Amino acid sequence: MIQPLRKTHRAIFFFLAVSLPFLFLSGIAFRHSWPGIKPNQVPSARSRR
Amino acid sequence: MSHPYQAIGWNRQKRFYDLTIIAGVFIYVGLFVGLSAFFFPYATAETMIIRAAGSAAFLLLHVVLCIGPLCRLDSRFLPLLYNRRHLGVLTFLLGAFHGVFGIIQFHSLGDKDPLVSLLTANENFRSLPDFPFQQLGFLALLILFLMAATSHDFWLRNLTPPIWKSLHMLVYVAYALLIGHVTLGVLQSETSPVLVIATGLGLATVLGLHLAASREERRVDATKLKAVPEGFVDACDVRRIPEKCAAVCSVNGERVAIFKYDGKISAISNVCRHQNGPLGEGKIIDGCVTCPWHGYQYLPDTGASPPPFTEKVSTFQTKIVNGRVWINPTPYPPGTRIEPSQILGSEAQV
Repeated sequence: MIQPLRKTHRAIFFFLAVSLPFLFLSGIAFRHSWPGIKPNQVPSARSRR
Repeated sequence: MSHPYQAIGWNRQKRFYDLTIIAGVFIYVGLFVGLSAFFFPYATAETMIIRAAGSAAFLLLHVVLCIGPLCRLDSRFLPLLYNRRHLGVLTFLLGAFHGVFGIIQFHSLGDKDPLVSLLTANENFRSLPDFPFQQLGFLALLILFLMAATSHDFWLRNLTPPIWKSLHMLVYVAYALLIGHVTLGVLQSETSPVLVIATGLGLATVLGLHLAASREERRVDATKLKAVPEGFVDACDVRRIPEKCAAVCSVNGERVAIFKYDGKISAISNVCRHQNGPLGEGKIIDGCVTCPWHGYQYLPDTGASPPPFTEKVSTFQTKIVNGRVWINPTPYPPGTRIEPSQILGSEAQV
């Protein structure tokens, strides 16, 4: 890669290294707490008949 | 290039590369569907197929993004770089399958046009857990489409390298959009820590490798070569250069690739005329410096592509003194023949 391209690439990755972990961790931290599904609560094909 | 148009210049290595990745994708999809059917028997077949294709595309995109920095950090990964375009196109095809199947499954049974439904069904842009993640995936898919459609030298020549390169740098935007698509999509509904850990590890790997590689690049750029007599600079030890490979150094802010071959040393610009690929990370094959990205070739002593090709890169005068390679920092015009420096027996000893 030529030097200006290397600099652009470096700048992009410094930005992503800050923003993406922030997005990922925020997404996980603020997600809804769904009620868990227990296997015995799942209607099986037999019980639906 | 003046040779007749060919959609793909197939060779044995490209066929092997493509067969390997296609076999890998089939094995992955088979395992994904099999394990999902075992662990989540209530999931529908459509959901499993959509997720298998989407996760395969996401995984492949990680592989594509890791290949560049891995090659910069360790040359043993270079064979992966050779046919990376096909890996990118396959990533798009899997993503397109995931997207189209998803639109048919979730947006085609209402009274709205499926695309309108995709773009307007959820407008909760202010809520993180309810964010319209499908739009993020759609935008990423558009970028991957543009990249896959222009992954050919025809487009490189017609768009010109600066525009083509800028277009293909959008892959980082697509990756950021897909991290959002996954985090605000499947990770909101599936609470399994395995998915969170896998996504986090993938993100950490891509970012970590790129940051490590850019640190290494900066180190090479910042290394000041010692000035030596007659206007030369001391570049490196002859023994440091593997046979038919190169050492790369930075001279006046630009990279020079110093090749060792058949008891000789030649130095040329590190920048391939095709796509600015790093010639110094390539090898000498059939007597020609071969770019690791797409196989463009140059004679090491002239910097010119063998006939009938017309590409040329700059050459540099070299000298070997006490087992060290000296370089004259002033480049010669592209294609100028420079007599290679001969390595004496004692200078080649480890």
